[in-house]
Amino acid sequence: MEFDWTEEDLSYRSELQDFLAEELPGRWEGATAVLGSADNAEYSRRFAGLLAEKGWLTPHWPTEWGGTAATPWMLAVLGEELWSRGEPRGPQYMNVNWIGPSIMAHGTPEQCQRYLPPIAAGDVIWCQGFSEPEAGTDLASLRTRAVLDGDDYVVNGSKIWTSYGDIADHCYLLVRTDAQAERHRGISVLLMAMDSPGLVVRPIPGMVGEHSFTELFLTDVRVPVANRLGPENEGWSVVREALSFERVGAPRWARAAYVLDETVRGALEQGRSIDPVAVEAVGVAKTACEAARMLCYRVIDERARDLPPSPHANVARVAMVQAERLVADACAALEGNEIMRYGSDSDLQMRKSLAAGVAAGTYEVQLNLVSRRHLRLPKN
Amino acid sequence: MDFTLDSHQEAVLEAVGTLLSRHSGPARLHDLGGDEPGYDHDLDKRLAEAGFLDVAEPLSTCRLDAALVLEALSGSLASSAAGWRLLVLPTLDVDVEGPVAVVTESHSGPARFAADADALVVIGDDRVRLVRPDRPIPRVRSRLGWPVGEVTGLSEGGALDGAPAAAVRSWARVAVATEMVGAMQFALDITVRHVSDRRQFDRAIGSFQAVQHGLAECSVAVDGARWLALEAAFTGSASTAAAALTQASEASKLIFRRTHQYHGAMGFTREYDLHLATLRLLALRSEAESFGRPAAACAHEHWGI
Repeated sequence: MEFDWTEEDLSYRSELQDFLAEELPGRWEGATAVLGSADNAEYSRRFAGLLAEKGWLTPHWPTEWGGTAATPWMLAVLGEELWSRGEPRGPQYMNVNWIGPSIMAHGTPEQCQRYLPPIAAGDVIWCQGFSEPEAGTDLASLRTRAVLDGDDYVVNGSKIWTSYGDIADHCYLLVRTDAQAERHRGISVLLMAMDSPGLVVRPIPGMVGEHSFTELFLTDVRVPVANRLGPENEGWSVVREALSFERVGAPRWARAAYVLDETVRGALEQGRSIDPVAVEAVGVAKTACEAARMLCYRVIDERARDLPPSPHANVARVAMVQAERLVADACAALEGNEIMRYGSDSDLQMRKSLAAGVAAGTYEVQLNLVSRRHLRLPKN
Repeated sequence: MDFTLDSHQEAVLEAVGTLLSRHSGPARLHDLGGDEPGYDHDLDKRLAEAGFLDVAEPLSTCRLDAALVLEALSGSLASSAAGWRLLVLPTLDVDVEGPVAVVTESHSGPARFAADADALVVIGDDRVRLVRPDRPIPRVRSRLGWPVGEVTGLSEGGALDGAPAAAVRSWARVAVATEMVGAMQFALDITVRHVSDRRQFDRAIGSFQAVQHGLAECSVAVDGARWLALEAAFTGSASTAAAALTQASEASKLIFRRTHQYHGAMGFTREYDLHLATLRLLALRSEAESFGRPAAACAHEHWGI
């Protein structure tokens, strides 16, 4: 046991920091957009292209697909540095962290050839068609139907809470291909073009900053069978594996710690007094970020050893949600009535912390998994 | 980065574990007086003979192995001041045979181990003193699972030239955080066992989601405290030390309330072991506060506020 970074990781981090200091104007996130907004997504096309030129967009991919086979620790450093600058890759962190790897693992040679190079070049935006009006946390109850007709699937149904649905080029879509099978068994993954006839995208204004969700309505949308990822009716295991990539791919603690740091520095620069209640809140929030950091590192250490996914990833997710919330409390304590100013740190963090416990799997589901798999508490 | 024990650490912990399974643990604490115990001089002697109290290199800032040993000691509910010896004394170039207590210059009132200590490490704003009491320090009746003495009117002298007060205070934080982690894990483990076995309404009470979520949050909090304490022991960083103690203090509040709550009335019987760990947390938290509010220290270390 030891907690030092290698020389290699340290120099990678400092190279990245120099690059980011040059490429990202100070506080660009607050000035332009928040993660999930259309502005942020458009910005990401330019920025991800720059990263790709450096070989830093998909460093963890195999060399065959333009990666440099970077270690999980280098990937962690990359994620940390980018998230602590507000994640300028925008939606593309999903592409590189799990959509790409999922296509690599289950795609045909043609699918890999078609979809992976644009992701590696930072030139494409994907959205995920998972949740439905009647299938949220209980995702396996999804009902969007895909029926085989010649060389196509004909898809009917609707998807909701789809971020980037209005700007994405492709959708990683979950559909039911066997309505009779046990519910986890009849699901398939389709890679759908977002300009497919019969697809209507409706924006749903969100209150998390400038972010908006979309709803997708699919009426007789034809998706070629050649666009199915993995075997028919085995989409559930394909997506579960994909999402295990996602859990630590998003080090939200780093972004929360950055917001906290900026808010404290802002208060100090403006000469505002920081009362003992705010000091306490700030110390507790910083601590929560630090605890989440170590709990994420434990997962990365397991990944670096090629161990199978463990409940430690759920522990880390819980800790990250707590950190986001405590940072929101600390920003509010620090800024006082500044929270009334739209776009202030306390205002933005309050909004983001609301999403933290819902997006990518609810806090409560994570607690279920921690209690059953980590503590091994009995099922009913 | 490596989150697994190396072969040396594994060997040390295995040997410590064997010794503790024979000479420490809740039964031993009951023998020593339970929630009102005497000092376990016998255990200290055995630990010293086996070399476990010297695992930290003097003056080195890497004390990870010492923290791992301390976590095991605390998890066995040892009635010993070995934590101070393992993590605080290596910063000071001093020779003390028996137990030590650690207090701040402004301390007045109960302090763990003070009545049994050969010497008191006294942390001031910018100096550290080693005070050898010229008369016995009286015992305080305390029922929080530790032997406690009454420290009043510290005598003058004993200033240690060049001893870094900030570093000593920081290591005291790591020691208290590590001790809290051991006691919290004990309380959590015994509670997980209890709710898995105890049946009501024809099902284990640990199958109720209200209980599961409560314990899952406890577990996340304790894991966070554990890894921060170990990282602080490895790096010697004052800011990580403050964060570790803040996390441990916050976690201990959850652990105290929830582990007792999920035990029902069983949790407040003296025959049962839970209170031996949970009451200790209250004493440790008050000690943590005596080195300055942990969260405020964390904010101070990071931003100078």
